[in-house]
Amino acid sequence: MINKTKFALVDCNNFYASCERVFEPKLEGRPIIVLSNNDGCIIARSNEAKALGVKMGVPYFKVRDMIIKNGIVVKSSNYPLYGDMSSRVMKIIGQYSPIQEVYSIDESFIDLVGLPLHLINHMQSLRQNVKSWTGVPVCVGMGSTKVLAKLANRIAKKYTRFNGVFDIDELPYERYCKLLQSVEVGDLWGIGRQSAKKLNRIGIISSNDFYQADIGVIETLLGVNGKKVYQELYGNSCIPIEAIPPTRQQIVSSRSFGSDLTDFHELNQALTNLTRKAVYKLNNHKLATTTITVFIYTNPHKKNKACVHLSKTIGMTTAIKNESQIIPLISKILRLIYKPGHSFYKGGIVLSNLVKNYPQQDLFLTNEDNQRNIDSSNKSNAIRLVNKRFNESLKYASEIGNDKWRPKADFKSKRYTTSWTELLVI
Amino acid sequence: MNIHNHGGARKGAGRKKNSGNFKEQTKVIRVPISLVDSITPSIEVYKSQVKSGIEVLRVNEDPVKQLIPIFTSRVQAGFPSPADDHLEDTLDLNTHLIHHKEATFFVKAQGESMIGAGIHQGDILIVDKSLSPKSGKIVIAVVDGEFTVKRLHKYKGNITLKAENSEFEDIKIKGTDELIIWGVVTSVIHQYD
Repeated sequence: MINKTKFALVDCNNFYASCERVFEPKLEGRPIIVLSNNDGCIIARSNEAKALGVKMGVPYFKVRDMIIKNGIVVKSSNYPLYGDMSSRVMKIIGQYSPIQEVYSIDESFIDLVGLPLHLINHMQSLRQNVKSWTGVPVCVGMGSTKVLAKLANRIAKKYTRFNGVFDIDELPYERYCKLLQSVEVGDLWGIGRQSAKKLNRIGIISSNDFYQADIGVIETLLGVNGKKVYQELYGNSCIPIEAIPPTRQQIVSSRSFGSDLTDFHELNQALTNLTRKAVYKLNNHKLATTTITVFIYTNPHKKNKACVHLSKTIGMTTAIKNESQIIPLISKILRLIYKPGHSFYKGGIVLSNLVKNYPQQDLFLTNEDNQRNIDSSNKSNAIRLVNKRFNESLKYASEIGNDKWRPKADFKSKRYTTSWTELLVI
Repeated sequence: MNIHNHGGARKGAGRKKNSGNFKEQTKVIRVPISLVDSITPSIEVYKSQVKSGIEVLRVNEDPVKQLIPIFTSRVQAGFPSPADDHLEDTLDLNTHLIHHKEATFFVKAQGESMIGAGIHQGDILIVDKSLSPKSGKIVIAVVDGEFTVKRLHKYKGNITLKAENSEFEDIKIKGTDELIIWGVVTSVIHQYD
């Protein structure tokens, strides 16, 4: 049978743990967990850690004893490393198809239709190349729709006899139904927890129940998105590949602080640092912002303490993009919302209403204003370049202080691929 | 004179004042076509802000004067340089030293065991993970989980990792050892103090 459509989902195996292993090969075969920002919860596990029964999303402090007892290796999350390794992996995957969608930090869809190649061999070569070029192991699932490719990827991961590549379209009908029977409906791509609950209520438990159900029932219950998943199980592609990522709607930069902050200047330090990160992203995407939100929260889980959420949004007539324009604004907004006497545990900023960073700034500005804009733009660029070269050595005055806000990252590996001062030493 | 008491505008009919996109009076103006693209985004953004009910500030808080910039001169093209036809790309060390960007990593050398190959303490090694480890190449190897940089020597199925300093011993790989070739060293960057 010739497919009108054919997709592959390439997914990295336990991506964060695999990245750590590339630069610490002695961790091969040992159980590893990776913690979220501020060493809060478990966000990634190696197969060995999964086998020991470590659950996703659990706060670290709750399972610390069990982790020490089992000799599980603990890592703080190292996003500079994971991000760089991800972009390497994605670029290699992109060489195997003219159309690629980078779906997440560790997953990518590619379009295989019309490639005059033996697809299994083509995908085996992809798999081996990613592994030997970057050290990161991946598995490939293929199918005539994205839902099927995602399902196929589960099989490729689960059964070692397929050698990491599985094409679900090759399965005969009975075997396909049997496979669907073994997968819970909530595990299908595109069926969320709420939808799964609704389906379970009318007796649809497995993916096969879903597959055998009446299309009208599915559409009434879940609407058009549920119907799409249903049709994709029958091999009719309804969810197209998104080769061009949608323009960013907003940039959020937030975090829980290393310890609670009460002082205005401590909060200002933390927010200045978060703002610099957000502006860096803004500039990388060649965008400018016209709306800024600042928020600070107290810990809602602390008993006997009022739960305080403070936030404010302002808009501007002109899109701005420079650190030296945005940072003072953030401080101003913080000054407006700040209330003394509370212990803030989390804060952040949101840049929204993003626009393409068009050169014509504001037609109603005077020549002096324009000159000032150009000056501030030059200043921001100079600071960026210095910081890139000299490891974040220039800081805004508002960022300097006691660093009480800095998150805990007690088990962090080095930024092996993005910092000259943290290279792997051999 | 006859006063009409029917026809004409009805009281309260039509669009309410200040009920449009901007919640204030608007005015029709003439705009040169070349400026339309640069003005429209500002207006669209303003519109969405008014719509979402957020407070709108001007970045420029105390404008002294409001001048409308007018484009009075055309850009001079300048006298053509006689070298224009001979401009080439500048030399880029990255393209010279790195052939597989995604597979290339920098590592820092420690110790003196490879001094004969020109690798000194603190040098930066350029490592390409995509190259196949042929005999005679300098490689980053992992022996029983530990990194080492040595020259790979393969002969009749025997593998030796050779040091290039007589004070260091070669590592002969035995059947029980676990050896992984992590990457091939393609260049060494040595900086003088």
